[in-house]
Formats: sequence, C-alpha cells, structure tokens
Amino acid sequence: MSRRPPLDYQINDPLVGPSFSFSFFLKDVALFFSILVILGFGIFMLYSASGQSILMVSRQLVFISIGLFLMLAVAQLKPESYKNILMNSYWLGLLLLIYVLINPAKGYETSRWIDLGFFSFQPSEIIRLILPLSIVAFLFRKDIKPSLYDWIIATLAALLCFYLVYKQPDLGTAIIVFTSGLIPIFLAGIPYRIIIGYLIILASLSPYIWSNLLLEYQRQRVLTLFDPEADPLGTGWNISQSKTAIGSGGLTGKGYLSGTQSQLDFIPESHSDFIFSVIAEELGLIGLLVMFLLYGFIIWRVFRISYQAGTNFERIACSSLGFIFLLFILINVLMVIGIIPVVGVPLPLISQGGTSIIVHLLAFGVVLSMKRSV
Amino acid sequence: MRIAKDLRSESNDLRRLKQRSSFLFLLSGLLILVGVLKIIQLTVLETRDYFTESENNRIISEPIYPARGLIKLMDGQIVAENIVTQELLIKKGLVSKSIDELKNVEKYLIDQGTSLDLPLIENYKDFEKITILSDLTDLQLAKFQVNKELWPSVELNTRLRRFLPHKNLFSHVVGHLGELTKEDVVYNSEIKYHPGSYLGKVGLERRYESQMRGIRGIKKVEVDVFGNQIRELERLNPVRPLNLSLSIDLDLQMTARKELGGRKGAVIAIDPNTGFIKALVSSPDYNPNVLNKSESGLSFSLNKKIEAPFFNRVISGSYPPASTIKPFLGLLGLENSVIDQNTEIDDKGIFQINEEGRKYRGWKEEGHGKVNLHKAIVESSDVYFYELASKLTIDKISTFLSLFYFGRETGIDLENESSSILPDKSWKLGNVGEAWFVGDTINIGIGQGYITITPLQLALSVSAIATKGKIYKPKLVQLLGKEEIKPELLFEVDLRDEENWKIIEQSMISVISSWNGTAHNLYTEGGLKIAGKTGTAQIKSLVDQELTVKEEYEGIRAVEKNRDHALFVCYGPIPNPNLTVVVVVENGESGSSVAAPIAMKLIKQYQKEVVADV
Repeated sequence: MSRRPPLDYQINDPLVGPSFSFSFFLKDVALFFSILVILGFGIFMLYSASGQSILMVSRQLVFISIGLFLMLAVAQLKPESYKNILMNSYWLGLLLLIYVLINPAKGYETSRWIDLGFFSFQPSEIIRLILPLSIVAFLFRKDIKPSLYDWIIATLAALLCFYLVYKQPDLGTAIIVFTSGLIPIFLAGIPYRIIIGYLIILASLSPYIWSNLLLEYQRQRVLTLFDPEADPLGTGWNISQSKTAIGSGGLTGKGYLSGTQSQLDFIPESHSDFIFSVIAEELGLIGLLVMFLLYGFIIWRVFRISYQAGTNFERIACSSLGFIFLLFILINVLMVIGIIPVVGVPLPLISQGGTSIIVHLLAFGVVLSMKRSV
Repeated sequence: MRIAKDLRSESNDLRRLKQRSSFLFLLSGLLILVGVLKIIQLTVLETRDYFTESENNRIISEPIYPARGLIKLMDGQIVAENIVTQELLIKKGLVSKSIDELKNVEKYLIDQGTSLDLPLIENYKDFEKITILSDLTDLQLAKFQVNKELWPSVELNTRLRRFLPHKNLFSHVVGHLGELTKEDVVYNSEIKYHPGSYLGKVGLERRYESQMRGIRGIKKVEVDVFGNQIRELERLNPVRPLNLSLSIDLDLQMTARKELGGRKGAVIAIDPNTGFIKALVSSPDYNPNVLNKSESGLSFSLNKKIEAPFFNRVISGSYPPASTIKPFLGLLGLENSVIDQNTEIDDKGIFQINEEGRKYRGWKEEGHGKVNLHKAIVESSDVYFYELASKLTIDKISTFLSLFYFGRETGIDLENESSSILPDKSWKLGNVGEAWFVGDTINIGIGQGYITITPLQLALSVSAIATKGKIYKPKLVQLLGKEEIKPELLFEVDLRDEENWKIIEQSMISVISSWNGTAHNLYTEGGLKIAGKTGTAQIKSLVDQELTVKEEYEGIRAVEKNRDHALFVCYGPIPNPNLTVVVVVENGESGSSVAAPIAMKLIKQYQKEVVADV
C-alpha cells in the first residue's frame, strides 16, 4: 500500500534533506500559529465569560494542552498509515453511540452523556468528526473510484449515526452529524444520479417522517425555524438576552470584563455555547471581525493544504474537515444571533468544553499530517 | 505514460473537488451573508435599542414607598396605622424562564391542590416585579428561607398594610384601600401608580390619598439576572406623607356606635361653633381591615348585606326631615311676619284649604286645640304647620331652607356626599314632570313629600340655630401634617329680627323641658338645658281617608321596612351650646323614644369629657 506519491521532488532532491526544523515539525507554521492565537483568544474570553473563574480557565488550559499534544502527534503521521484505523474508528463511534443509549450518565434528562468519572463527554461530539473521516477513508480505501455500493454504504453509515443520535433524542445534533457525513460523500464526487435518487426517496418519505418520526417538540422546533417569534420552548428569553448583549456591544464593545449582560449573568451558558455574545458585547463588532478574520485565515490554510495534497483521500479529508469547521462556526453564530433554533454546538476552539477542543485539535492534526512539504 | 494518465485523473479529481467545494462555498456564503447582515443590524443599526435594553436589564429603579400617613385622633390615639407583612415577588421578565421555580413555590409553600394566582402579567414591564404570594405566614417564611436554592429568582419583600385597631368603629370615616383600577388612575391622575398598588377607595383614605401617600422615592440599583442587588447607583429619597389628626371624639364615637346597636341608622355629632365633627357613625358598618388585607375573614356578616354596610348613611342617606323641619318654618314665618308669637289656630286634627278640599290629618287624631307657634313646636302640631306652609308658599320656603344648606352639599372632607332634595316649582316640573300644587307645599310643612335631607345637612342647619345663624363647614381633619385646619364659615343667616332665634330656641328647649313636649321623657330636673326636636318620617303615606290614623298604622307596622324612621335633632347645653347631634334610626318609629335618648346620651357624655378636660 505504501505507494509513493507522484511528483515528490523532495524525496528525489538530495539537496533538501528531511532535517529537523519548525516547519518539519509543525507542518504548516501559519496554520499552527493561527490556531494558537485563536486558542489564546478563547482563553482570554473564557476568563471574562466564566466570571473570572481561574478554575474553569485552568481546566480549559489542560484540555488545550492535551489537544495540542495529540494534534502534533497526529501531524507527524503519514496519512496512509492511519487510513485503516480511521476507517475502522467508525465502529468505535457506533459503539459509543449505542452505549450512551443503553447506559446514559445519570443526572441528565436526555441520554447524551458518557460519564468517565473525571470527565464526561457527549459521543455525538466525537462522531461529528469520526464519521466524515471514516467515510473518506472508506471511499478511498482502494485506488479505484468508489463503486455504486460504496456510495450507498457510506450514506447508510451516515444515516445510522443520524438515527442513533436522533434517538437520544437530539434532532439538532443528529442533523449536524448527518451533514458532517454527507459533506465528504458530496465532495468525493457522488454521482448526481444517486443524489437525485436520494432526493426522490426523501421526498416520498417526508410526510411519513413528519407525522410519525418527529416528536411534538421537534416538530415545534422545526416550525420555529420558520417563525422564530413563536416560542414554545421558552428559549426566546435566552436568545433575546443574547441579542441584547450583541446589539448593546455596538461597534467597539463595552470593554473587556465590562459587559453588563455577561458579567451579571444575563447571558445563559455564557462560557460555552453563548460565548460569542460575550465577545460581541465586550469587544464589539470590531472584535468579531478580528475573530472572523482569524477563522477565515484558518479555513483558507486548510483548503490550501487540501488543494496541494497528494491523494484524493487527503484532499477530500482536508476539505471535508474545512467545511465541517466552517459549518460549526456558522451554526453556533447563527444560533446565538437568533436565526436558527438553539442546538448544542460550541464555538470551535473558543467555547469552554474539553471534548470540543480535543476533537477539533485532533482534526487539525489530521489536516496538518496531510500537508505536503513543498 | 502511466504517470501522465495519473496526472490527468488527478487533475480531474482536483477540478471536481474544486467544483463541488465551490458549490458548498456558495451555500456557506449565503449563510455567512445572512449572519453578517444580522450582526450588522444588531451592532450597528439597532445598537441604541439594545443598549437601552441592556441598561434596563442591569439597572432597575426600585421605588421606595414611604409608609402611608397615619390617621390619629387629636389626643394621639391611632385610628389607622401600617403593619408589616411579607410577600414574594418575581421580575416579570423572569417569569417565563422560571416556570420550574414557580412550580416549586407552589409545591412547597402553598396548600396542596391550590395554585398561585398570578396577576395579568401583560400589564407589567419586564423589569417590574409581580407579587406571587402575599401575607406569608411564619411557617411559609421559614420554608422560603431554608429552601432558597429552589427559587433563586423569587425574592422576599416586606409590604405595609393598612390596619385599623378599632376595626369597624371608623369604617365610614376612614374607609378602606383597594387595588388600583382604571377608574382610580383617572381620579388621581397626578400620582403615578404601578399595577398592584393599593390606594384609598372611600372615606378619608380616598379624599386624602395624595397627602397620605407621600411622594415615592427611587433608588437605582445594579442587579444581576436573579435580581440580586450588586450595588446602589443613586437614590432619591421619598417625601414623607402627612399624618391626619381627626376631630372625632373616641368615646363619643364608641357610644354612638354602641347605642345604634347595629340597627340601620346614622349618628352625627358636630361642634356647631367650628364645624368639627365629634362623632360620625353609620350603621351597619364593615371591617376595613379585611379589605385592606391586614385581617382575614369577612368584612361584614352576610345577613347584613341587604342593609348596605358600605353605604354611608350620614352623608349619603336622604331622609324626609319630618317634624325636624318645623323650627325652620316657624323661623321663616316670624321673619316674614306671616305669624307672630301669639298667632293662634284651632287644631282639630285636620287641615283643609277649603271646605271640599283634601283632608290633611295631624298625627294626633283629636288635635291639639288652641295652638300658637311655641305650642306647635313643643307638641309638634301638624295642622299648625300645614297652615303656615300654605301661607308661606314654596318659593319662600325653598329659598329660606337653602340658606340652611337644605339641598346643598356641605363640602365635608368625605366622598360621595349627597345633596338630597330641596324641591321648588321648577324642580318638580323637571323631575316629576308636573306643576307644583298647594298640596305639595302643605306636605313640606311637616317635612314630608318631595323634601329629603341627609343627617349631615340636618346637623348643619340645626347648628345654625345653635349659633344664631353661623354655618361652619363640617370637617373631620383637624390637623393635616403640621398644619392646623381652621374652622371655615360657610354662611351666616341674617335675620331681620335677631330675637326670632331665641323664640325658636325657647320652643326647642321646651320640647324636652315642658311636660307636654314630645321629648319630655328625656327631661331630668336640674339637668342640662338642651334644645331638640323630634321627627318621625313616614315612609308609607296614609291614604285611606276612612280609617283613623291609629287603625291605618296597625296595618303598616306589620312590615318592618315600612315602619317610620325615627329622627331627633338637638344641641346643647344652652346658653353655650358645644355639640349638635342628629340621630336617625331607620324604621325606629319613634323619634322621642328611640332616637332622642341616643342624642341626649351623647351630649351628656360630651359635657362630662369637656368638663374633665378643663
């Protein structure tokens, strides 16, 4: 399987040896440092959003350290070497999803959490990244183009994850997981005739899904999507406080640690899902723009790596991860400003939360490992 | 060759990836556009609104209510005070978010099966607080404090409630408070109330609402989402309200209430020289504390309901003055020289204008015989006043009585005063739709027919005889804050001959002191010299000309509510009267035996107190 990538001048060129250097170790120095900057920015904001809790910040720093270590470790690997592991990690994800349904952590209303004693996490947060990567690895496990069956099996694999998360029940996350699975399938070049076939099946099943599979509150949630004023879940208060925070920040913000909405606890979950509102309130539109530029830069680097990568597997994996990263940012921001309903998606690399940080950094490890030295 | 093919397929793959990526970028771009526009809308276009909103969230202006002004008597006795009760509040903006907390309150703090009754929360602004539970018991208070983490958004507040230590005694003087209604807002437009406020509904509580309320202060505090105060930003102290001191004499008031004994009726005692009211009792009454929510139970027993316990008979009850009108008509007769002291008629028990005319009967079947003015007042001859009235004509009667505040509001510092009816020709045309007949005038001669008067008006007009013409505005409040309220002369009746006052007064003294006086039953040898006049107001007219008065009465007496009202007016002691008393006992039948003893008792008791004070 150790097929040498074509056009690999570096190996053939005796003048540029694989000597140790920053760029050798960090792969993409620009990407690495922009990630560090946004992590630092996250810690900076978390300190404010958590009500200046040293404990929460230290915990987050521990997770960041673990994540960075894992990221750099993965970055050193050759993609070909872990392609099989990636493909089979699907089963691990599946196992976690089934486990959480059978044996959920106590103290939560829904069965979404696994409690390890020192650390509890949501398998759905892990599956968001495992699923797309395993699908890419599966589709490109051979050199030849994926067959019709490959496409269908990949789709079914995503559907299965969707169903298990939906059973928790968590429709919002289920949709996000499913979308993360569909992105690589689409990017990998699923033929349009299959897509059309899917659409026809979906269209014919949709009335049944609406009336039989969706719970009442999920139906309401879908309806709120079209009519945000109606507020059957009482989430309106959270959103309206969040909007108040964002709007009141104005252009330049109220100043670090001086956001009244944030510091006086008017923003719910200000340290995790709603940290965006804190940033907006305290740093204003300008702060947001700086953050968006950083995110944009990271995404640009990811796609740059993707387009320069040597194999289809690497390319599709990289750009899938890029899109998923973008998707998470979008979902979080659109949720916080009140455009889409509230779903539990943290702001990547900034929100408090161990799983989210580690999983995202691992994904960047995968991206970095695919960076082709020029 | 193989490398070239690989190259081609690789570049094909890359091209397809870029195509498909572009599609996804396009989708993302649309979402980004939506997001960016929304963020600009929030942070740039509408930032002012949101900033205001965040300030409203953060800073609450808490009103500081001064404790309502006290009502006291001149000797310092408390009539109405404020007692502390505990209540639970929640900010309106937190209600939808705190459903679980409210459920906890329901579960732990109130009786099983009952639920909190929240007021209409639409009326409140987000930062205003709603009372969810009031008048906490000690047990509820303890449970609330112990389980605070179950309801972080709910806060404890103390509230003052109005309490009258004497309960019913002052109900028709002080009145009660009630929750704000739309109509109140119009009445007191200069005061800003927030929903749920209590304010005076009747009586002094209403009339002196603005003075007793004071002006609320405001403190601006920074709060967190649970309403916990972080720090105080600024404070505007409230303006203390004014206390009232009433002219009411506690013992007199208590005696008056006790003597009425729950019968329907009214007692008013007033100082004729100043207009200050010494006792004001309307019966039945109610317990204002129940309406003030400072006491539980019923404000009056249910069987009293048809007797209108909320109706203030002293100022709003209109009764025929009956024979109590006679001294005034006598005075008018003397003034106009229609009669003099010696004018005599022969009272045979019946009066007719001419031979064929209707027969007007006197209360005494056989008549009073030869009657002059003095005897007519002392024995209350109806026939004498039938004749006098017919000679005086309604125009003169009505003009003259009006001077004594018949048919006019007195301007007492209470609400809902009735002006009653002083009829004249145009009044009858307008309200009955008929021309004035001589018969109407004759009826007025004995205070019956269209004419009515409130006990308060009667007290004022009788006081005018006591003071030889001076009429003072009736007042309850003698001290408003530190300001001493001065007596206010409303009018002074000027007689052509001042001697006429004395003539009438002499006759009224004889009503009690003469052996033939209608209230001679009250006379005690060497006792106080008191001028009085009885009255018995008919409710049902005696219509059957064939029956004797006595026979016809038997039929009417059978039904209690048809029985006559007993009236008595008096003032004393002569020559320096210091108290005028008017007593009305509804369906009490006899002015002399039912109403008069109450009045006499009050005057006598008052003299003892005045002597004791001096």
